[in-house]
Amino acid sequence: MVASARSKQIWLATLGVPLLLLSLYPLQQSIAEKKESIAEQQQELLLRSGKLLKKLSLGYDSLLADIYWTRTVQYNGGILERGESDFSLLAPLLDVTTDLDPRLDVAYQYGAIFLSEKVPAGAGRPDQATALVRKGIALNPTNWRLYYNLGFVYYWYLRDYKQASQTFWEGSKVPGALPWMGAMAAHIAETGGSRDTSRFMWSQIYESTQDVTVRANALAHLQVLRTQDDLDLLKTFIETYKKRTGHAPTSVQDLANAGLLLSVPQDPGGYVYVLDANGEPAVDPQSPMAERVRDWSGRK
Amino acid sequence: MSSVPLFVAVNTFRESVRDRVLYNLIFFALLMMAAAVLVGQISIGIERLVIINLGLSAISLLGLVMSVFIGVGLVYKEIEKRTLYSILAKPVRRWEFLAGKYLGLLLTLAINTALMTLGLFLALLYVDRAIGRADAHILLAVYFILLEFALVTALALFFSCFSTPILSTLYTLGLYVAGMFASDLRDAGALSSSGAVKAVTSVLYYALPNFSNFNVIGATAHGDPIPISLVWQNTAYAAIYILALLLAASAVFSNRNLK
Repeated sequence: MVASARSKQIWLATLGVPLLLLSLYPLQQSIAEKKESIAEQQQELLLRSGKLLKKLSLGYDSLLADIYWTRTVQYNGGILERGESDFSLLAPLLDVTTDLDPRLDVAYQYGAIFLSEKVPAGAGRPDQATALVRKGIALNPTNWRLYYNLGFVYYWYLRDYKQASQTFWEGSKVPGALPWMGAMAAHIAETGGSRDTSRFMWSQIYESTQDVTVRANALAHLQVLRTQDDLDLLKTFIETYKKRTGHAPTSVQDLANAGLLLSVPQDPGGYVYVLDANGEPAVDPQSPMAERVRDWSGRK
Repeated sequence: MSSVPLFVAVNTFRESVRDRVLYNLIFFALLMMAAAVLVGQISIGIERLVIINLGLSAISLLGLVMSVFIGVGLVYKEIEKRTLYSILAKPVRRWEFLAGKYLGLLLTLAINTALMTLGLFLALLYVDRAIGRADAHILLAVYFILLEFALVTALALFFSCFSTPILSTLYTLGLYVAGMFASDLRDAGALSSSGAVKAVTSVLYYALPNFSNFNVIGATAHGDPIPISLVWQNTAYAAIYILALLLAASAVFSNRNLK
């Protein structure tokens, strides 16, 4: 009798527990939907002192650094995905991360880019970026790549070519620095901003990082530079067309028909180039490249 | 040399293995290794760094928990269960009993640590597809963690000779935390204008067990080489401190009235 009562309990548990757990699934979905409809909780960073955290970590500062780094990536990635514009915690998170582990190179590179990029692609605070990377250099004076990151911020985001050249020059003197650092310093000092220099720098970033977000950002910049190259080339073909025919083309197809182009070229977004109202080559307004080229126009 | 401590040690090891808490802790540590692999997917480019940090930290933290919570009960349990009297009624001297208890727990910790280290290397193998000579420095970090366990266990055993488990836990953890801050205490004292404060903090710096000596997790994760001189210095430091604690424990326990 006792045995049959126990056996009943076992059957009840075997069937009942999975059923009860399964019933939680729709309930949890409903709760999650309701929570999303409530105003999002403001993210807080309660402890902003990396130095204090380092003391409190009782020797587990490297682990804590990894946790804060993961949190930083999640925070920034979430903002970029949602298209928001408030990056106020990005600099403090990176600061704490690098206080806990001053040798976390990826954090400095990440900060250099995403603190400097204009909203909504980043925080729009190149001053915070330079402060972060300078801190990294002070803590890691033999890491030439940090000089590269700093020089890049001065070059691309602040357009301070003198400071950029100076930074690349200082970095070139660090043992182990790649030879092109010195060449870069000289080239920037001589020519200021140039598309070739920019392309080289973004290519370096694209090839040297394994962070998906940083790579995507670098690729986007390289695509804009390529688009600008294409538009410049189309301008020369239009001039050639005008000289040959005596009149301006009405579309890019005219250039292909005249044998100046093998086919109508496309921008990196897959849209064919068009002529604007003034007969100048332009990106198709429907193309995702249109906004990027507009935002970054004037940059070299 | 008497073989009694070894018999007590083997018996202590068997008791520890029977304790299911240990299995749960090992399982949890191995779970953390798996989590490290997943976290590494998010932190692309630093997977190895994250795995080593998380793995070594898990081994250190969980081993610390084992050292403290099992260590403080080593003597107390035997007194409470009244088994100590039958043990001491045999030709087992009190210091032999203590030494055996200590060695037994140390053996348990060593084997658990070895299993968790294996888990760490498996996680690294999964990420890197190969284990190289460069990974040997991880073993050094694990060795330092074992030295840390040995010192914490000696502390716990010492307190367990005259105190209850709860108080022994508090004292052991308190000294562990104080030991981690020993350098900061000294630095704070150096900034003081008072000679007495300078002297006290300096004495404390040398008297407290300096657990930060054994922490090379960050350096290991970044692939920094560990100087061989540090290995034997830390070994000597731990051995001397442990010997002092075991002698003190033996003295206290020998004079303790067990009635």
